Amino acid sequence: MAELTDASIPKFAPGCRWGGTTEAPVVLFPEGAIRVEGTGRIILELCDGHFSLAEIVQKLETQFILAPKGKIRADVLVFLEQLHAKRIVDY
Amino acid sequence: MAQCSNPLALIAEITHRCPLHCVYCSNPLELTSRQEELATGDWLRVFDEAAALGVLHLHLTGGEPLARPDLTELIEGARRARLYTNLITSGIGLSRERLTQLVGAGLDHIQLSFQDTSEGQANWIAGTRAHAHKVELAGWIREHRIAFTVNLVVHRQNIDHLDAMIRALEALRPDRMEIAHAQYYGWALQNRPALLPTRAQLDDAVAVVRAAEERLRGQVRIDMVVPDYHARYPKACMGGWGRQLLLIDPAGRALPCHAAGVIPGLRFDNVRERALGWIWQSSEAFQKFRGEEWMAEPCRSCDRRKEDFGGCRCQAFLLTGDARATDPVCELAPLHHLIEDAVRVDAVTGLAPAAREAPFHVLQENMAGFWSYRTDPK
Ligand code: SF4
Ligand code: SF4
Repeated sequence: MAELTDASIPKFAPGCRWGGTTEAPVVLFPEGAIRVEGTGRIILELCDGHFSLAEIVQKLETQFILAPKGKIRADVLVFLEQLHAKRIVDY
Repeated sequence: MAQCSNPLALIAEITHRCPLHCVYCSNPLELTSRQEELATGDWLRVFDEAAALGVLHLHLTGGEPLARPDLTELIEGARRARLYTNLITSGIGLSRERLTQLVGAGLDHIQLSFQDTSEGQANWIAGTRAHAHKVELAGWIREHRIAFTVNLVVHRQNIDHLDAMIRALEALRPDRMEIAHAQYYGWALQNRPALLPTRAQLDDAVAVVRAAEERLRGQVRIDMVVPDYHARYPKACMGGWGRQLLLIDPAGRALPCHAAGVIPGLRFDNVRERALGWIWQSSEAFQKFRGEEWMAEPCRSCDRRKEDFGGCRCQAFLLTGDARATDPVCELAPLHHLIEDAVRVDAVTGLAPAAREAPFHVLQENMAGFWSYRTDPK
């Protein structure tokens, strides 16, 4: 499995994209669809091929200033690695 | 009336025409002819109606969907309806230019089926020459940003070299690999004695797939569908009757499952005459086995009924003659011995003849008595 580092640029894997409506967006992929809400949605919206992992974490840290140090990065890592194993996110 | 959720996926069998003759084809034995096929406009309306009902995924299949000259238009229409579009194809005759058109029209995912990874063996299963082109096509697919799945149907005749097949397919750089055991409907049921793997073969195959999953994690997602004949409990066929999926056959009949046409006395409404929403919610065929009212014992009082819905209605009918019976695959089914007998008998009778390469009509004669190749509709 590819390693996710600060310099990695996470993005949707081929054939994975947004669907549903603006109020209730889903991520569409070959086997199905997942509804993403809250932080998951914010993270995936940043996975548009423009931001590195470090930048995504930094953006989230400015948004959630109360989160303990390191917590956000660890959470983002787990989230993206899971989606990578499902072939929904590449980096 | 049993309450119903909205469908999530539409399986559109846009034609039954197909250049291949796979011995495990799950199409019905009575195939729809070209004259009876739905017109482009009918399909486009159906896609809009499906999206309005909540369908997210459209699976374009057949037969061979490429046999429809209007495929690009169909994909465009599906994309306009905001459906996620998947093309299930054997790839025969798909040129690089046409692929580019299909992708340009909005195709999201292509699922390319393989019969085997050695030329002779693959042609023997498919009853035609097809393999070399697929390998070339795989390269063209990877030039586009669409999801790419390779699909391999495994059975008694090829399961022993599954590891070699996985390695050959992984060289094509797919995102996903679906390793599906033949499902015993249509032509596959006719050919079951030659296709059903033995228990030992299956156990080896499961180990091979586990190892491949480990090796390819993050690179290729592997999904394996095991033959339910060797399972303890049945599969939740189609996610439950009339719960998640609907299928429309080439002539426009809406079915809750590929094989539902075998169940006698079921009336399937046609999208030419009825709105899709009405068919889904109110038609007799979709209501028939929805919910739990229809269930017999032991399903009726079994805890697993909400997970597997008593198994497959079509399989229950095909094997027991009663569509309401517990799927005989279930070890609790009163008629489970039908499955045990099939496994035992097929293990003895299903010997593999040597692979051959020959034109279809020659294969057809040579193999008569061993298996029947799927024919092509008029
Ligand atoms: S003959 Fe083969 S390729 Fe054609 S529809 Fe049947 S399984 Fe698919
Ligand atoms: S008895 Fe019926 S509900 Fe229970 S496991 Fe068997 S098929 Fe499923």
